[in-house]
Amino acid sequence: MAILEVSNLKKVYTTRFGGSHVQALSDVSFSVEQGEYVAIMGESGSGKTTLLNILAALDRPTSGEVRLNGKNIVTIREKEISAFRRENLGFVFQDFNLLDTFSIKDNIFLPLVLSNKSYQEMNRRLMPISARLGISDILEKYPYEVSGGQKQRAAVARALITEPQLILADEPTGALDSRASDNLLELFNQINADGQTILMVTHSVKAASSAKRVLFIKDGEVFHQLYRSGTAEEMYQKISDTLTMIATGGARYE
Amino acid sequence: MSRLFYPRLAATSIRKNAKTYLPYMLTCIITVAMFYMITSLSMNKGISELRGSASIYSVLSLGSWVTGLFALIFLYYTNSFLIKRRKKEFGLYNILGMEKRHLSVMLFFECLFIALVSLVIGLTAGVAFDKLAFLLLLSLFDTKIPLGFEFHWGALLSTLLLFGVIFALLYLKSLFHIHLTKPIELLKGSAMGEREPKTKWLLAILGLLCLGGGYYIAVTTENPAAALAYFFLAVILVIVGTYCLFAASSIALLKFLKKRKRFYYQPRHFISVSGMIYRMKQNAVGLANICILSTMVLVMVSSTLSLYCGLNDIMKTRYPRDILMHTEDCDNASVEALNQAVDSVLGQKNIQEKNRVAYTGLSFGAMQQGSYFNTNPDSTDIVDMNAVVDLVFLPLESFHQLSGTDQVLNNGEILIYSDDRSYPYDTLEVFDLKFTVREKLEQFEQYDLVTANATGTMVYLIVVPDNAAIEQLDQLQQEVYGENASAVEYTLGFDVDAGQGPVVYRELKQTLDTDGRSVRLYCREDQLENAGALYGGLFFIGIFLGMLFLIATILIIYYKQISEGYDDRERFEIMQKVGLDRTEVKRSIRSQVLTVFFLPLITAGVHVIFAFPAITRILLLFGMTNKLLFALCTLGTFLVFALFYALVYGVTAKIYYKIVSSSPTRADE
Repeated sequence: MAILEVSNLKKVYTTRFGGSHVQALSDVSFSVEQGEYVAIMGESGSGKTTLLNILAALDRPTSGEVRLNGKNIVTIREKEISAFRRENLGFVFQDFNLLDTFSIKDNIFLPLVLSNKSYQEMNRRLMPISARLGISDILEKYPYEVSGGQKQRAAVARALITEPQLILADEPTGALDSRASDNLLELFNQINADGQTILMVTHSVKAASSAKRVLFIKDGEVFHQLYRSGTAEEMYQKISDTLTMIATGGARYE
Repeated sequence: MSRLFYPRLAATSIRKNAKTYLPYMLTCIITVAMFYMITSLSMNKGISELRGSASIYSVLSLGSWVTGLFALIFLYYTNSFLIKRRKKEFGLYNILGMEKRHLSVMLFFECLFIALVSLVIGLTAGVAFDKLAFLLLLSLFDTKIPLGFEFHWGALLSTLLLFGVIFALLYLKSLFHIHLTKPIELLKGSAMGEREPKTKWLLAILGLLCLGGGYYIAVTTENPAAALAYFFLAVILVIVGTYCLFAASSIALLKFLKKRKRFYYQPRHFISVSGMIYRMKQNAVGLANICILSTMVLVMVSSTLSLYCGLNDIMKTRYPRDILMHTEDCDNASVEALNQAVDSVLGQKNIQEKNRVAYTGLSFGAMQQGSYFNTNPDSTDIVDMNAVVDLVFLPLESFHQLSGTDQVLNNGEILIYSDDRSYPYDTLEVFDLKFTVREKLEQFEQYDLVTANATGTMVYLIVVPDNAAIEQLDQLQQEVYGENASAVEYTLGFDVDAGQGPVVYRELKQTLDTDGRSVRLYCREDQLENAGALYGGLFFIGIFLGMLFLIATILIIYYKQISEGYDDRERFEIMQKVGLDRTEVKRSIRSQVLTVFFLPLITAGVHVIFAFPAITRILLLFGMTNKLLFALCTLGTFLVFALFYALVYGVTAKIYYKIVSSSPTRADE
């Protein structure tokens, strides 16, 4: 069953004084199945951040549809969109986006508090997640007191705690060293193995090679896709080849 | 490299940072102008033609000192805001290859520009408004003196000197900052200091104790003379307490709230409590400053305003008759001669007198210990200022004349009366004399007249049987007090028709002087003008400094809003990404800003309420007994101040929201 269906997505930015138009997405269509782990790759300016913002309901497309569990998120009213985002989507960002004013624990609780969950309920949910992510002993610390990898795991915990339909990750390894990156990607694989659907935007081949499927975006369109077969190393090789081909302007094949 | 490179760079950077520099320059201009105005006023020759010019001059020069000191502190404070905001820029210049000495040159030109602009505009404005201020001062005295345009080189010089030194100090401080920090730290400059504050229990408790102590002193000190002395202690305690309260107690309270899980983990409290902890940490000193400044403005303006408004009342209390004379020559012949002299003057000028009173009396101070009035302060270890009272003794004969009654007193018996506190004892001891209270008087209409010269609120009027008793008391008090002893005095007073007071006064003065009598002669109308000069001067200074402090308050608030806006922008964005509604974020930030904004005003209000009893008593020293008038003045001042405050809030809140919502995410909606 497809959990996310994106069809004919188009986004045109108009500069402030209405002069020129920039087409960020021209025609994007793809779908994500329940329990999938999909990476979207593309160079800077390929439109992948725009795509992610639209999927996250942070931005609206010029035309096209995004259906999450059959519901078109493009038409959700502004008033309900925050609650919708909170209840159905989990976010992991490149720069963690943890608030310095909250302890790690409170950062993780933030979406639940906003949904008016009781403290007991929040704690009940937090325990297994924090144990799993290995952050149980830093819960009382503050973001500026822990390492980047720990911060990112806290952000993952914050994304997971709402039990979202879909986790959206934007360059999650972008600010991490290679060791922390490996840990995080391993973590994503584990979560995915438990049935969590993940959609990750990245331009790191390494990160993308941990996904089950990789979509390539170029000039605002889905240019190509790869399914995982074999080991991560093989996947890495395939992705590299594809990127080389895209960069050198090779013919499109499906 | 062009020789104009640095000046140009400096000019550009001032222009680019207009949002923070413009208010700063405005502050400089205003302080310069105000300092020039008050200094030049204190040199204004026109004032010397006013009555009581000496007191006006001294009040004005005091005001100029306060303004100067304030300018130094305040400009130093606002300048630190600027440096903090611009650290990143300096860091960038540094990394792009400007060495610290180049930065110093650029900063020098910046400083120079600002100094030049503020001095030129400030002095121009000062000279222009100088006349206006003088006219305001004159209008407070109801005086019209034709006056040309005045310009004071002395005032100009002292302004230049003072602000030259201040700007030089500010430049040195900026240099110090830049030289101490590394480029990377400069780059991160304004993002530093985001650690969650620790609870400082000791400070929090100290703050509460200081505040409580200050309030306690202000409320419980009943003796006006004591109130003045203790009031300064109370003021210092309250200032210390306010700083501690904002810095520590508020954080302690918030942390306590945070510990209460059921309360804390609710959407509204969650964000505001955690946000407030940071805000309080960053703003504690600023908020305390605002609070103290506001309190000062309120106290100063309300008390001077009430003195000015209550001037006529005050003079009525202090001088119960249009013409009053006191003499120590109380023997019958002298008294008779004095009365005759007065009669003849009135007859000559054909002036009708009214409400004539005359009495003999003796008054001195003592420390009340139950029914014993101690006249030897050294005899006890603790001098309790609250127990100091005035004793006014009248012989029965004078009392009969004043009250129109005909009580009888035996030897050793007295009548006693006090305004508000009933005397609970049946005897009264003073020196080694013991009196029996025959009657505690319910009512005595001429009480105000008799006690006009008393300085305390607690005045006991004691009626003794005859002049012999008075003389006995007089001898005893002369032995005890020596040089400070008072004397038995004969007082004569009467009213005349409006406008005739000064005429009678001058005539009487001449007559009495030629007769060689030592009589202290007062004319209420003359005294009114003298006191009017003093109180009018005080009120002028009250308004002047009040305006200065108000401007300072506004500026501090403005800078606070701006610097917080930049800090909050990021948090605002993150919260939206995690799923907080834009309107919810706005509401939460609004409530925090409101709290932070109006906390100082409310605290200032509480300070003023507690200061009220103490100030009422201090005003008694100035003869101001009208509590209602003072209450109204305080209330009025508070309302006007709150109005200004709210106005500033409205304006700065707009700027704040503009900064906060300038985030790129969904900015197009």
